[in-house]
Amino acid sequence: MTGEPIEAVKNGIQVMISSLRQNPQAIETAFISIITFDSTARQLVPLTDLASFQMVDIKASGTTSLGEALKLVSSCIDNEVAKTTQEQKGDWKPLVFIMTDGIPTDEWQSGLDEFRKRKTAYTVACAAGSGADSNLLKQITENVVSLDTADSQSISKFFSWVSASIGVTSTKVEDAGKEVSGLGELPPPPSELNIVT
Amino acid sequence: MASIKSVSSIIHPGKTYQYADNGEPMRGGMKDVYFAPDKSYVVAFYRDKQDFNSKERLTKLVTQYYDSFFNREGGEYYKSIYCWPTDVVQLGTQIGLVVPTYRKNFFFAKGYATGEGIKGKEKQGLWFASAKFRNKQFALRLDESELGNWLSYFQICVKIARGVKRLHAAGLAHSDLSYKNVLIDPVNRDATIIDIDGLVVPGLYPPDVIGTADFIAPEVLSTKHLALRDPNRKHANRLTDLHALAVMIYMYLLYRHPLKGGKINSLDTEEDDLLSMGEKALFIEHPTDASNRPKLGQLPKSALPWSDVSKLPYTLTGPYLKALFDQAFITGLHHPNQRPNADMWEQALLKTTDLMQPCGNTLCDQKWFVFDNSSSPKCPFCGTPIKGPLPVLDLYYRFKDTVWKPENHRLMVYHNQYLFQWHVNRNVVRNERLTAEQKVPVGYFAWFNNKWVLVNQKLNSLKDLTEDKQVPIGSMVEITDGKKLLLSNEEGGRIVMITMANKHS
Repeated sequence: MTGEPIEAVKNGIQVMISSLRQNPQAIETAFISIITFDSTARQLVPLTDLASFQMVDIKASGTTSLGEALKLVSSCIDNEVAKTTQEQKGDWKPLVFIMTDGIPTDEWQSGLDEFRKRKTAYTVACAAGSGADSNLLKQITENVVSLDTADSQSISKFFSWVSASIGVTSTKVEDAGKEVSGLGELPPPPSELNIVT
Repeated sequence: MASIKSVSSIIHPGKTYQYADNGEPMRGGMKDVYFAPDKSYVVAFYRDKQDFNSKERLTKLVTQYYDSFFNREGGEYYKSIYCWPTDVVQLGTQIGLVVPTYRKNFFFAKGYATGEGIKGKEKQGLWFASAKFRNKQFALRLDESELGNWLSYFQICVKIARGVKRLHAAGLAHSDLSYKNVLIDPVNRDATIIDIDGLVVPGLYPPDVIGTADFIAPEVLSTKHLALRDPNRKHANRLTDLHALAVMIYMYLLYRHPLKGGKINSLDTEEDDLLSMGEKALFIEHPTDASNRPKLGQLPKSALPWSDVSKLPYTLTGPYLKALFDQAFITGLHHPNQRPNADMWEQALLKTTDLMQPCGNTLCDQKWFVFDNSSSPKCPFCGTPIKGPLPVLDLYYRFKDTVWKPENHRLMVYHNQYLFQWHVNRNVVRNERLTAEQKVPVGYFAWFNNKWVLVNQKLNSLKDLTEDKQVPIGSMVEITDGKKLLLSNEEGGRIVMITMANKHS
């Protein structure tokens, strides 16, 4: 990701953090980690509570090591998301948001196999711009959001939607207590996004 | 750019409302919210299509219920404790509500101690129900000027309890009481219940929500896996409101959740959460079962000092509230019928304010505390002892001609403390129906020339029974250990019996 899209992502994260930092539920409960992937995948920010989170400079250019990123997020989940033990309460299942504007250039299937072994509350993949392959992302998660153009406005809308889905709201009466999965359970995305079904 | 749009009322033909649509409404759990151009009201559209029942329910809410709550004596008071919808509108197939905007004092004047992050934002209850936001080491703490003092939260809880009491008296249940649906203002000791549109009339309109996490009653959570129409499935109702009310009062006074402790009920985190708040819910301060006590080493430092239940136990809230917390979180936790009702909370909170003492330490964070019946009292929050003798007044009522019985009501005296009609006469009940006349003090206590005195301002028949002397209006009577005062010889008039605590400091 280069140029306008990456700037928009940076800005989107910044806006998202500042909006979450105005939400007492989020401050009470949310931790954030950032992983970037281009020619390699790196964890830029380890899992950090919102109050201490400091934004770092995100760079992504060249290739798209999606497989490596999926492996890395898997091992980060293993190491940083606390499991409930006899002694101590663990963390809730993580929410994973994947943003890409390209097609994976590595052997990504093995990364996906690793990632699938981890439980997430939900995973949302965002295909930004015409270069991204939303069909491919559909293999990672059924929740794929496609931004037709990776311009700053649509990316910032994606992030404001992400912020809303992290906030806590009243729980609707459901016919039976199902696990939350699938985009139908989240606040609806802004109309400018297209959900691939 | 925002464009101004217009919608029509479905109740009042020809009546329209304008709102500004910038394409990015504020999103609630079920509604999209738009401001009026002058911001005097909002129009909130349901995202889901509302069925016939729902339309009928909302219509009743803004007509019949509105009238019965507000267009009668005492209605003005209730207008201040609810943010009640005033009209129903329709745009195509979308149904919306017209709701007045919140009063100015429900928006942060300063917000965070450092930075402008939430200045001007709504004072959602959670900001004030969590220890973090008042911990001086926490980066995103609230400014001291926003926090009020401990007494503020008693007044706030009284208002919330009254709001719930009135709903229940009308046969309604809120169904989603939580710190998200109550705005509070500790600075002005004010509270208002919002999101009234989920109101449930038992048997007539079913609830749309099971509630907000942290406030959902155990019986609702433990039956939510059942089908909607299963007779064993428990829904939000008056009794689940009473659970939510108890949780809220506990949180506003103690800044921690009464059921979130260290006990592990399942190795699956989500299931553990469900069990710990549902089927296996257990009071963290249960007197005989300590298995759910918070584990201090596992909690963030920012949750201190309130997360330490051994240092700041719930008994700090005094005997009347302790009894109700026991009833709500021990006997009534899994037996909804045993939960204290809103009126009991209101009365216990008010009586507790009569037990409160100002802390002598101007730097004390709480500034007030509840007298703990000890002979050498000190502030439990900062440890500052009370200086000098402390009069404790126990109230008695006439049972038979010469037999007087205790009211289980005590008034602690401090300098410039007022005496009111509701102390003097048991026929005057301290509630929202008090007249302006009844809110005027009838006397006051003062530390004067190294003595405690009561100055009589309005009592026609105040009498010092110990010295057998009338105390006329405009004069004072000394408050001494063992003295009895007749406050009024009218029907319902009380006697106070004086005990001096802290005699030797």
